[in-house]
Amino acid sequence: MGTPLRDLLFEQGVEFPCGGQGRCRGCRIRVLEGKAEVNRAQRERLSPEEIEEGWRLACQCVVEGDLEIELRQWDSAILVDDTPFAFRPRQGLGVAVDLGTTTLVAQLLDLSTGKVMAVSTALNAQARYGADVMSRLHFAVLERGQHQLEILIRQQIGALIEQLLFSAGRLGAEIADIVVVGNTVMHHFFCGIAAEPLAHYPFEPVEGGLKTFRSSALGWKLAGDPLVRFLPCLGGFVGSDTLAGILAAKLLEHDDMVGLVDLGTNGEIVIGNKEGLLCASTAAGPAFEGAKISMGMRASTGAISQVTLSPPLDPLLTEEGSKASPLPLEEGTKVNPFPIEEGTNERCNHTRVFCRVIGDGTPRGLCGSGLVDAVAAGLELGVIATSGRFSKGEASWMLAPPVALTQNDIRELQLAKAAVAAGIKLLMQRKGAKELSRLYLAGAFGNYIDRASAQRIGLIDFPPERVEAAGNTALLGAKLALFSLDSEGGSYTEVRRRIEHVALNADPSFQDVFVEELAFP
Amino acid sequence: MSIFEELQQAIIDGKAPAAKELTERGLKEGIKPHEFFPKAIIPAMDEVGRRMRDCEFFIPEVLIAARAARGATDILRPLLQGDEAVKPVGTVVIGTVKGDLHDIGKNIVAMMLESAGFRIVDLGVDVPPEKMVEAVKQHQANFVALSALLTTTMVNMKAVIEALVAAGLRDKVKVLVGGAPLTDAWAHSIGADGYGKDAPGAVELARRLVPASA
Repeated sequence: MGTPLRDLLFEQGVEFPCGGQGRCRGCRIRVLEGKAEVNRAQRERLSPEEIEEGWRLACQCVVEGDLEIELRQWDSAILVDDTPFAFRPRQGLGVAVDLGTTTLVAQLLDLSTGKVMAVSTALNAQARYGADVMSRLHFAVLERGQHQLEILIRQQIGALIEQLLFSAGRLGAEIADIVVVGNTVMHHFFCGIAAEPLAHYPFEPVEGGLKTFRSSALGWKLAGDPLVRFLPCLGGFVGSDTLAGILAAKLLEHDDMVGLVDLGTNGEIVIGNKEGLLCASTAAGPAFEGAKISMGMRASTGAISQVTLSPPLDPLLTEEGSKASPLPLEEGTKVNPFPIEEGTNERCNHTRVFCRVIGDGTPRGLCGSGLVDAVAAGLELGVIATSGRFSKGEASWMLAPPVALTQNDIRELQLAKAAVAAGIKLLMQRKGAKELSRLYLAGAFGNYIDRASAQRIGLIDFPPERVEAAGNTALLGAKLALFSLDSEGGSYTEVRRRIEHVALNADPSFQDVFVEELAFP
Repeated sequence: MSIFEELQQAIIDGKAPAAKELTERGLKEGIKPHEFFPKAIIPAMDEVGRRMRDCEFFIPEVLIAARAARGATDILRPLLQGDEAVKPVGTVVIGTVKGDLHDIGKNIVAMMLESAGFRIVDLGVDVPPEKMVEAVKQHQANFVALSALLTTTMVNMKAVIEALVAAGLRDKVKVLVGGAPLTDAWAHSIGADGYGKDAPGAVELARRLVPASA
């Protein structure tokens, strides 16, 4: 009779927002190979075009044989790049890979036109051995798992490249060049360099340079055995994803002081101008990714991704990512368990908070952007004091049942916020930069975070109009690299000479500034 | 409000100048230096610990309270020399283990232990085991308090315990460990005498383990 696809996928962590009733579109999948019947429920929810393209509602499918599918659900968390860029055409196909600690994105390019022919994304398979770089280092170094991590990631990226060729209908075609970027830890794991020096002070790579491999040496069977380049690290944990970001945002071409910030468990910060750049990483911890937050979760189905005090006019965030379309807001009901006396504070004339839920279903948790928004709203309402404490000493604040913000959640965000804010402050001080004319936010979180909220909590303390969500600059930079390999072969010796790495943890003033930055403005 | 109550409040509120002034005024009024500890400083820092544990206080509030307490103890300590009644409860060699630079948590624990009447030898961060052993010998410490904030560096706590064993000092000291990635079970597995979940926990633990002879 076949197996319900729902059972198979549920075990893999796929979520069914409506409970598998075929009433929402939250579990939609795309069938790449194999057969899955379309029933009436699916015809009601999917357009004929979507059905033609292979889209199905997973909860309604029964599988009889092997099926290869693409999951829609993860997409909200993985940011690809479709920014137009200038390039010098060359012959052949190229592949750019952004090897993130959490997510992987690979694109296949026609190097003669610069056109992206296919995209493939995945969650980093190493994640089962730890969500962040430190826990993965722990596994690699102390549990002697580094070889295992190396095999996993090489296999996974090899499969992603196969998938790219398949999606583009170019299976078996020759690839001219492959460029991979990632942070220093990912660099070491992929390249097979002992990661032990990264596990303790001074956290400096011994061998962080450009690494070049033949595909066959990585176990990849690709026509023409193309060269694979992992671009060089910048120092400490700051890797080639940041180098790529610097190239993509053209930081070395600005006269004014500018900055680039990638908000993740390790926040990367770059400050400077064409005279030179300073870069650093700062241990922000996992708060932005929802870990250690009582009801924290990834930016996926059921996550509260936005919290506002009035229905927002600007539909900045939608589950479709870049395609902004006004979505109905779940009115998060209630709101403020602390009745605010009228007139006591002019700013507190709101009594409602509104929560936007990814997938428009029942709220299940809070993702990073929702957390930043919630705290900003709490500060604005006076529910949260600048010390970070709930003003009336409550243990939690109900946002939209059952999702609440707890006192401890705010503390976790304070730690993350202070690490980033202190890093920005110290690099600006060292550069003698009083202001930044532009601050680029790289990465998925930077793309979804509300800039006004980020300023309100003091995380990115710049006027929103000067802050720009720059998207996946790591991937864009990797693509740019595909077109400039002829000069230095991807070593970027000249560029790197103009970038200096600063070890913030060794700066005696860092801890003082960090403590100062723990409070909210 | 008595001067002790005022001093307690000043410490809890993190008002260092007020704490100093109240201490000096108290001394002028004839209060014995050692009386400040049980009647004002220790209860104040216990209250700070309680608030920290209840999430009322966060790192900045705890640090400024500890700074205020230090304002008072800095005045009192020189006056205590040779006074048998105020012998330190115990001597603690404290530091963040080798490979780890995290300072704040360790400092909070040190300041709270100090306010609770312990003598503190703070070796700072990135401290190699040999240096710990040396300090234990030199200061005849009865406690070694170790901090680590990274899963990759917490293993170095074990190295300190092994170094103490090798130096024949293991039975002379109680080893207390703490830091975000640690657990009670892990602390026991490496042979530590106790695990402090947070700074107030570390103080409680140290008080409980104070040797009878000290």
